[in-house]
Amino acid sequence: MNRRHLLTTALAGATVTALPAFAQPAAIQVGAVEILTGPAAAYGIAIKAGLELALDAINLKGILGGQKIALTVEDSAGDKNQAINAARKLIGRDKAVVIIGPTLSNEMFAVGPVTNERKIPTVGTSTTAAGITEIGPYIFRTSLPESDVVPVTFKKAQARGMKTVALMYANDDAFSKSGYDVMKASADKLGVKIVATETFGSKDTDFSAQLTKIKALKPDAIAISALVEPVSGVVLQARQLGIGPEVQLIGGNGSNSPKLGDIAGKAADGMIVGSPWFIAKPDEVNQKFVAAFKAKYNKDPDQFAAQAYDCMFIVAAAIERAGAADSEKITAALAKTSFSGVMGPFAFTSGRDPASADGVVVLEMNGGKFGIAK
Amino acid sequence: MPPWLDDFFWTYQNLVYALGVNGLLALSIYVVLAVGQLSLGQAAFMGLGAYSSAIMTLKFKLPFLLVLPASCIVPVAFALLIGGPTLRLSGVYLAIATIGLGEVLRAVYLNIDWFGGALGLSGIPERAGIGSIYGLLAAALAVLWIIGRSHIGRAMEAMRTDETAAEVMGINVPRYRLGALLASAVLAGLAGALSAHVSSFIGPNEYGFEPAVTILSFALLGGIGTPIAPVLGAWILTLLPELLRGLADFRLVFNGVIIVIAVLFLPNGILPFRLRRHGRP
Amino acid sequence: MLGQQLANGLILGATYALFALGFTLMFGVIRVINLVYGFYFTAGAFIALYLTRNLGWPMAVAFPAAAIASGVMAIGIDGLLLTRLRRVGAPELASLMVTLGAVLALYATATALLGPDIKRFPASVIGAEAMEFAAIRITQAQVLILLATIVLVGGLLALMHGTRLGLALRAMAENPDAAGLMGIDTIRLAALVSFISGALAGAGGVLIGLNFNAIQPYMGEAMMLRGFVVIIVGGLGDIRGALIAGLLLGIVEVLTAGYIASGLKEAVAFAILVAVLWSRPAGLFGRAVTRRA
Repeated sequence: MNRRHLLTTALAGATVTALPAFAQPAAIQVGAVEILTGPAAAYGIAIKAGLELALDAINLKGILGGQKIALTVEDSAGDKNQAINAARKLIGRDKAVVIIGPTLSNEMFAVGPVTNERKIPTVGTSTTAAGITEIGPYIFRTSLPESDVVPVTFKKAQARGMKTVALMYANDDAFSKSGYDVMKASADKLGVKIVATETFGSKDTDFSAQLTKIKALKPDAIAISALVEPVSGVVLQARQLGIGPEVQLIGGNGSNSPKLGDIAGKAADGMIVGSPWFIAKPDEVNQKFVAAFKAKYNKDPDQFAAQAYDCMFIVAAAIERAGAADSEKITAALAKTSFSGVMGPFAFTSGRDPASADGVVVLEMNGGKFGIAK
Repeated sequence: MPPWLDDFFWTYQNLVYALGVNGLLALSIYVVLAVGQLSLGQAAFMGLGAYSSAIMTLKFKLPFLLVLPASCIVPVAFALLIGGPTLRLSGVYLAIATIGLGEVLRAVYLNIDWFGGALGLSGIPERAGIGSIYGLLAAALAVLWIIGRSHIGRAMEAMRTDETAAEVMGINVPRYRLGALLASAVLAGLAGALSAHVSSFIGPNEYGFEPAVTILSFALLGGIGTPIAPVLGAWILTLLPELLRGLADFRLVFNGVIIVIAVLFLPNGILPFRLRRHGRP
Repeated sequence: MLGQQLANGLILGATYALFALGFTLMFGVIRVINLVYGFYFTAGAFIALYLTRNLGWPMAVAFPAAAIASGVMAIGIDGLLLTRLRRVGAPELASLMVTLGAVLALYATATALLGPDIKRFPASVIGAEAMEFAAIRITQAQVLILLATIVLVGGLLALMHGTRLGLALRAMAENPDAAGLMGIDTIRLAALVSFISGALAGAGGVLIGLNFNAIQPYMGEAMMLRGFVVIIVGGLGDIRGALIAGLLLGIVEVLTAGYIASGLKEAVAFAILVAVLWSRPAGLFGRAVTRRA
C-alpha cells in the first residue's frame, strides 16, 4: 500500500506541473500525439505546424457558437509506450474529445486499440500502412493509403515505357513495408516484371551494394518505398554509381517531400511520385495555405503539414455538425464528412479511409522542385 | 470508485504497467550484474518472450495461464545456447556479443513473414494486468532478496568484487554465471510476455541496441547493492519523461541532465547500500 | 560488378574505420565507454556546415577548424563529466551512465536548436560527379575518405609507437596507476586523448557528412553500434585492428547485400562479430588479457 501511495504522490506532482496555464472552461479539448523530439521529429513538427495554422483560422470565428478549440499536442518521441501514455493523458486528464495522430503507423497500432476501447474518435493524418482503420470503428485516417496512390504512379511509368522494375524498400518500418507490398501488387497487376527486390534499414546511409546489383540488371525503373531521408540517399548514390536518367525513378508516399530536392538536389531530377497534394497546386485554397504557412513558419509546407491542415478543419467541422463536444456524436459526424480543402474534395469510406483518390496527381522532380509530370 | 479516480487510473494505466514491466527488466539485468557479468541480452530475451507468447496467444489460441510460464522457454533455450561460449567472455566483450544477439534476432523478425516483418504483431488481447505484473515483480523481488541474504548471495558478491579470489575460495564460478544468465532470461522473458499482453502491438525494433542500453541504465542509476535499487532506477527512468511533459521540446534535454547530475553525485547508484547478512562472516 | 562491389565495401569499411579511430583510442587509453563520442561526430559535421554555408569558408579551412573545435568541445565535456568520477574512484560503469545521460541531453539540445531536418553542404563545396577507373566509379568525397583514413591511421600509429607521448599513452592504457606513479600526468594526458579522439570524431563527421550529403543531429547515434563492433573486433585501443575490422565489416556487409540478400547484411555482420568473439575472446588481434569491466 505504501508503494502505491508513493506512486500516487509522484503522479499527482506531474498533474500540477503540466497543467495548462489558463485553460478556458468553454474551450473544446482536442488532443494530438506526434513525434516532436528524437530522430524522427521532423514529421511530427511539420504536422503540428499544419494543425496549429488551421487552428488559428478556426478559432478566429470559433465553432458551436463561438467556442474555441484548445489543441494540446503531446510528444511521443517515436516510442510506442510514450505514444500510449500521451494518448491516455490527453483523454483521461485533458478530456480530449478527439485525438489526432499519432505520426507513425507503428504507433497507431499501439495507440488505436486504447482510444478505440475508450470510444474516442482518432484521426491519423500520416498513417498510410495497411490495416490501420481495421483497428476499430473509432479509427479514421485522412491520409490516402499507399494502395490508392502507388498504382497511379506505376501507370504513369508504364505509359513511359516501363517493362521491368527493381523494387527497393526499408524493411524495418511498417510504412515502408506496406508501400512495398502495394508496389509489388501494382507491378504484378500491370504485368511489369520485377527483376530485383532489395531492402535496407531506414537509418542506413549506404546503399551502394544494392544499387550496384540493380545497375547490372538494367531495369527500366527503380521504385523506392521509404521515408525521404533514405530515399534521398538512394537517389544520390544511384547517380554516383552511374544509373542515369534512362532509368525511371519512382517514389512512394515518403518521397513526396520538398526535402527530397533539398538533400538530393539535381540527382533526384526525373523521379516521379504520386501525391494527393503538391505545393504548386493552383487552386485558391491551396495558394492561401502555402502563403499563410510561409508567413507563419518561414519555410515551405510539406505534404505532412498539408494533410494535418485539412485534418484540423475536418475535425472542427465534425464537432460543429455534432452540435456538442461529445465523442460519440463527433464520430458519427466524422463518418459523414464532406469537405473540400487543400487536398481537394474529401469524404470517408464506410471503412473510415479517404473515399476518393481522384485528387492524386503524378509529380516529377525537376531542378530540385516538384511539378506536374507530363 | 469516484469517476475522477477512475479516470486517473485509466490515464496512468499504461504507465503503471510499464513501471512493473521495467521493474522486472531491471531485476533481469541485476542478476547478471550481481555476479559481475556485463551481459546485455535482456532486450533480446524480452523480445523472445514477447514474440513467442504473442504467437502462442494469436496463432495457437492458448490460455494466458499457460502462455505466461511458457514464455520463458524460448529465452531460456537461447540462454543455454549462448551460455557456454559467451561465458568465457568478460567485460565489454561480453556486452557487445550479447547486444549482437539482439541485432541478429531483429533481422530474423524482420525477414520472416510469420513474425509479421516490419508490421510486427498486432491485435494481441489484453490478458495481463496489475495483478499479474506486480505479483510477479513482488515474487521476483522477494526471491532475489532471500537469495541475496543467503550463502549464494555471499558467493555472488565475492564474484563481483574479485572473481579470481572467489574461485580460490571454492566458488563454482561458471555455474553461478550460467545460473544468473538463465534467471535473467526467465525474468526478461516474463517481462516481454506481460508487456506484449498489455499493449496489443509488438514490433521488431523494440528489442535491439537502444532498449538494451536503457535496461542497463536502470541498474546503473539505481545501483546493484540490493534488488530494490535497480527497480527504483527503472521507476525513475520510466517516470522522468512523463513528469517532464510540461517542458515540451526540452524534455529530453532535462531527462539527460537529471541523469548526469544523479550519477555525478551518486556514482554507486541512488541506493548504494548492500544487503545485510547474519551468520558466518 | 565484383570490382565495384569491392570498392563499395572498401569505402563503407573506411567510413566505419574512420568513425572508430577516436572511439578506440579513448576506450583503449582512458578505458571509458564514452557514449558522447557520437555527438562529437555530429558536432564536427555541423560546425563545418556552419563555416562553409554561413561564413563562406572553403572546405580546406573549415575541415581542420571543425575537427579542432570538436576536439576542444570534447576536452570540456569529458572533463566536466569524467574528472569528478575519476577523482572519487567511481566504478567504471558509472562513467558509461553519465555519458549516456549527457548524450541524451546533447542530441536533444542540438535537435531543439538546429531543427531535426537533414541539412547538406552547399553544392559548391565538393564535386558530386563520380570518376571512373576501369569500370569502377568513385566520387571525390569517397577518395577523400580513403585518403583521410590512410593518413589518420598512419599518423596515429606513428604517434603511438614512435614518440614519447605515445609511450606515455600506452603506459596509461596498460596501467593508469603505475603510469601516475612513474610521473605521467594522467589528468592532462586524459584531456589530450579527449582532444585527439574528439577531433578525429569531428573529422569523421565532416567527411562522412560530405559523402552521404546528409547532416542531422542524430547522425552520430546511427554510427555507434557499428563503431562498437569495429572496436571490439579490432581490439580495444588497437588502431591497426580498428582499420582492419572496419574494412572487414564494410566488405562483408556489401558482399552479403550484393550476393546473398540485402535484408541479411546486418545479421551476417553481427553473426561474424559473435563468431569472432567466441573464437578469439579479446578481439581479432588482441592478446588474451582478462580485465573486469
